Amino acid sequence: MPDIVAETYRNQMNELAGTLPGFDDMRAQALAKFAEAGIPSPKSENWRYSDLKRLRENALAPAAAHAAPDLPAPLAEVAARLVFVNGRYDETSSDLGDLWQAASIRPLANHLMANEDRASELRSSDDGISMLNTALVRDGIVLSVPAGVEIEEPIEIIHIMENAGQAAAHTRHLIELGEGASATVFERFVGDEDSYWVNSALQARVAEGGKLHHIRLQEDGPAALHTTSAFVSVGAEGSYDACNISLGGSVARFEVKVRLLVDGANATIDGVALAASGQSHDVLAHVDHRMPNTNSDQIYRTVADARGKSSFQGKVTVAHGAQQVLADQSFKALLLDRTAEANAKPELEIFADDVKCSHGATIGELDDKALFYLTSRGIDPATARQMLVEAFTDEAFLRIKNESLGEAIRARVGDWMQTHAATPGNAA
Amino acid sequence: MAGTQETQQQVAEITGEYKYGFVTDVDMDMAPKGLSEDIVRFISAKKGEPEWLLDWRLKAYRAWLKMEEPDWAKVDYPKIDYDDIYYYAAPKSQNKPKSLDEVDPELLRTYEKLGIPLAEQEVLAGVEGARKIAVDAVFDSVSVATTFREELKKAGVIFMSISEAVHEYPELVQKYMGTVVPQRDNYFAALNCAVFTDGTFVYIPKGVRCPMELSTYFRINTENTGQFERTLIVADEGAYVSYLEGCTAPMRDENQLHAAVVELIALDDSEIKYSTVQNWYPGDKDGKGGIYNFVTKRALCKGKNSKVSWTQVETGSAVTWKYPSCVLAGEGSVGEFYSVAVTNNLQQADTGTKMIHMAPNTRSTIISKGISAGRSQNSYRGLVKVLSGAENVRNYTQCDSLLVSSDSGAHTVPYIEVKNPTAQIEHEATTSKISEDQLFYCRARGLGEEEAVAMIVNGFCKEVMQHLPMEFAVEAQKLLGISLEGSVG
Repeated sequence: MPDIVAETYRNQMNELAGTLPGFDDMRAQALAKFAEAGIPSPKSENWRYSDLKRLRENALAPAAAHAAPDLPAPLAEVAARLVFVNGRYDETSSDLGDLWQAASIRPLANHLMANEDRASELRSSDDGISMLNTALVRDGIVLSVPAGVEIEEPIEIIHIMENAGQAAAHTRHLIELGEGASATVFERFVGDEDSYWVNSALQARVAEGGKLHHIRLQEDGPAALHTTSAFVSVGAEGSYDACNISLGGSVARFEVKVRLLVDGANATIDGVALAASGQSHDVLAHVDHRMPNTNSDQIYRTVADARGKSSFQGKVTVAHGAQQVLADQSFKALLLDRTAEANAKPELEIFADDVKCSHGATIGELDDKALFYLTSRGIDPATARQMLVEAFTDEAFLRIKNESLGEAIRARVGDWMQTHAATPGNAA
Repeated sequence: MAGTQETQQQVAEITGEYKYGFVTDVDMDMAPKGLSEDIVRFISAKKGEPEWLLDWRLKAYRAWLKMEEPDWAKVDYPKIDYDDIYYYAAPKSQNKPKSLDEVDPELLRTYEKLGIPLAEQEVLAGVEGARKIAVDAVFDSVSVATTFREELKKAGVIFMSISEAVHEYPELVQKYMGTVVPQRDNYFAALNCAVFTDGTFVYIPKGVRCPMELSTYFRINTENTGQFERTLIVADEGAYVSYLEGCTAPMRDENQLHAAVVELIALDDSEIKYSTVQNWYPGDKDGKGGIYNFVTKRALCKGKNSKVSWTQVETGSAVTWKYPSCVLAGEGSVGEFYSVAVTNNLQQADTGTKMIHMAPNTRSTIISKGISAGRSQNSYRGLVKVLSGAENVRNYTQCDSLLVSSDSGAHTVPYIEVKNPTAQIEHEATTSKISEDQLFYCRARGLGEEEAVAMIVNGFCKEVMQHLPMEFAVEAQKLLGISLEGSVG
């Protein structure tokens, strides 16, 4: 990597000095590590299916502030709407509703101002992108749901990129669920045609008996680079249930790491990725079973149309002594066109013997027999194809609890199907 | 009941330890320790090799110097000092023996102890039930005997050590060697190209079905030697051959290096069946000693409708790093991989396969069974790749892991990369422990815990075992039991 890239980012970091109280040292450490590690290339194992060539060659400037953004229409009734525009919290566009009465919710800077010693909780993994996020994070939201509080409606976090040009936004959110608390966090990513870079990280901690739903709808602009991550730890009898929907971006990668720290912790990680026209979607999901009696389940469905590429790297680790673990992974990819591509790496790393872990992966095209069956019952071929593809992806949505959100997401997927699945691709 | 007797016998044999750990005392002819261009020249000169081969070796050596030892596998071992290894060790003998009578009787006894019949007489005399298997016996660095050569010659089959083939069939060797595994393929392959000392060469001519099974038996005997052999098998159009490979080594406290290269080439409509029972010394209970088995095996299905089938039973070695692969370049070619890998004590195995589908209508099947006991680590690592021009590819992969102890590890790292929508790729993997119910059932019928485990493990591996030639299957089944010995309770 040219040194100039690290140097430019160092200057950007210096300009952020003092914006997050108590955090400057951590920024400097992360940047020093970044200067060594650099932007990952497909040669590094975790990035083999995503190429961030553009970032390796140039450093991107921070996206400039932008007022009065074009807000997307809500997809469901929400408890609160938190809007980030070009990586900055937009107070005027946000709507906290009544949420402040039930939970604590404030921008990252305010949170650190009140608890400077908590700056060390903002972690980065040993990956250049994550280190850069720590070094350059500008803003974020800290949501803390007290013990026993259950928030029914989703809390929406929208990331909007507008008129950003070729610039980057680094945000970091912290979510904390107290004992027995429950909440649904609905993250949305939208943007214009610019070739911007959105680099967002979310850290969540779920205490004993807590339940966190995390739904992500990625509809970034067609030229965007999207690198996001979620690092979650789950306590006893707690659960983390995620569903990630990737529709937009040019190179989009989502990394989710869940640590099941105490007996009885559970995680489900589901998702659908729909890629076409030069898009590359990549998901890396790692569930780390640290303790006995922890369960996890992953359902991933991807569809790739002309020049689309979808990749899935799922990993389950079972630590030494973590007995009685159940872990399942299911990955299925559908290729609609000759030029589509799918990659899978469903990995198991097991250090305990009394466990049941399995994974299944399939890659193929639409089943001719099923298509024939439907058309023989009078359904026109275009509808039949759409029905089959929708049925294929639907399995991954079954664990979305909020019905209206589930419906809205299915409608989004349906729109994609209409453009891409209705007519046969340039297949064999 | 014959069946009962067999079971009892089998169970009795399970109690044995590594029984091939003896050392044969023969005079050895050795090169000085260490690796340099001089050593490469020495080996080449010792074998009276033609100029082109020496150049080839030196090119590989120079490439190797610039390469780095791979570290991506899930294995952990102290750094190998490549200057502390003997790269050439051969039993002393004046001349190349013309017949078995001239082979050092000490060597013959070694192979007899190992249960490898080098003597042809027995079979030729028509001893009942004896099946014909031609054997090439490799002792440390050189091939000491090859049996049944005359009979094979009549069928047109060339079966000899690779150093002889270099002299007798240079054009064939030159044409094929290094075409499947290029010199710079990987660190250990490059090392092998530079210092390989012997190995087996097989050529089956057009339309010939090899009249008997061919086999090579590898034996590491001398201390601190590395064994670097090459196997090259070419099946011409419509040919068929079944090839077996076995390996053992004495018990020593030091680790010894084995870095082999195996290249298979299958032309139109031919079939190669390659079976391995790998039983190198695995080291003792505390992980002391044992063989480092770093092997590159690859098959090129060059012709249309050709077929290559790898079957391996891996019970030995301290560290295994081995991925027998198939490059399916011929239309309609078929690749198969059946594997059982057992690790016990502190053994580590990282093994699997690659199926590269380059041509239309190619098919592959992968069945891998891993069994981890003691404090061992057992990984399956595999790649199924479909290139964009390969229509109607079919792959089925199944990897199951069985955990016998709570301190062992079982890992699965499959890669699936597909660039053609007409491919149908299926992959399944499971990891679990021996079912309590099955164990209880066997125990209730009077089997000891260890025998019960051995029996269940054998059942678990059956899908793979049935692809082994009969004699091998029996031996492999016993080996499984021995390998798991001491792992229960």
